[in-house]
Amino acid sequence: MNIELELYGSLRNLEPGDRLHLPVTGAQVADLRAALVAHAEARWPRVSPLLLQRCAFATRTAVLRDHQALPPDGHMVILPPVSGG
Amino acid sequence: MDLHYCDIAERAERCLDPAAALEFVSDPGFGGVAMFIGRVRDLNQGRKVDGIRYDIYPPLALARFQEIAEQAQHDCGPQLKLYIAHAHGRLAIGELAVVIAAGSPHRDEAFRACRQVIEAVKYSAPIWKQEHYVDGDSEWSEGRSLCEDAQASAVSASAHD
Repeated sequence: MNIELELYGSLRNLEPGDRLHLPVTGAQVADLRAALVAHAEARWPRVSPLLLQRCAFATRTAVLRDHQALPPDGHMVILPPVSGG
Repeated sequence: MDLHYCDIAERAERCLDPAAALEFVSDPGFGGVAMFIGRVRDLNQGRKVDGIRYDIYPPLALARFQEIAEQAQHDCGPQLKLYIAHAHGRLAIGELAVVIAAGSPHRDEAFRACRQVIEAVKYSAPIWKQEHYVDGDSEWSEGRSLCEDAQASAVSASAHD
């Protein structure tokens, strides 16, 4: 399926409009992570693989774990490590 | 009666308001009010800071603030009133980044709730801090992973806590 991924924090500005449209083979968050890692290796040379492993994925209301299903609407957000306060 | 107030303040439009926080958590039956205010420091890891930019994913941040408030209420007392507000956008040195207030019948619940809430906001809400230095450089804080799978190997949080 195709996922539209909103980019935040240190990942902003890596794609036009801070959004990435990514084809994903598979139906779980882990499959999205794998697709993102492959995209980053090809297009984001300054982003470390360790950072991508530390990123979480979320919908508008919940953080999803790697074993969970991708949402039917295909809209997700990537959350780099947080640093509020 | 609403016991929780959660807010994200767009800095270009308004500043955080501690007086509003105090008013919200006040009650004739409350003898204890605790407040935490986070402000922008002028130094980070030995480098002079010019300002900070906060990036936030508002829908999830507000949902998380509400969960944090409900957890604090569960842990510290059903009568607790809580105010949670975070700034969004570019802030100058000394400006307010976060305001947490807790009101309760007695001081212990208020202190405990205030501490619990600010720690949870710092480490679990989708908020990102970018330090802007006086030399023109800028850097995102290292932060805390929200991905449980990565926690075991996560590097400890930034020194700018």
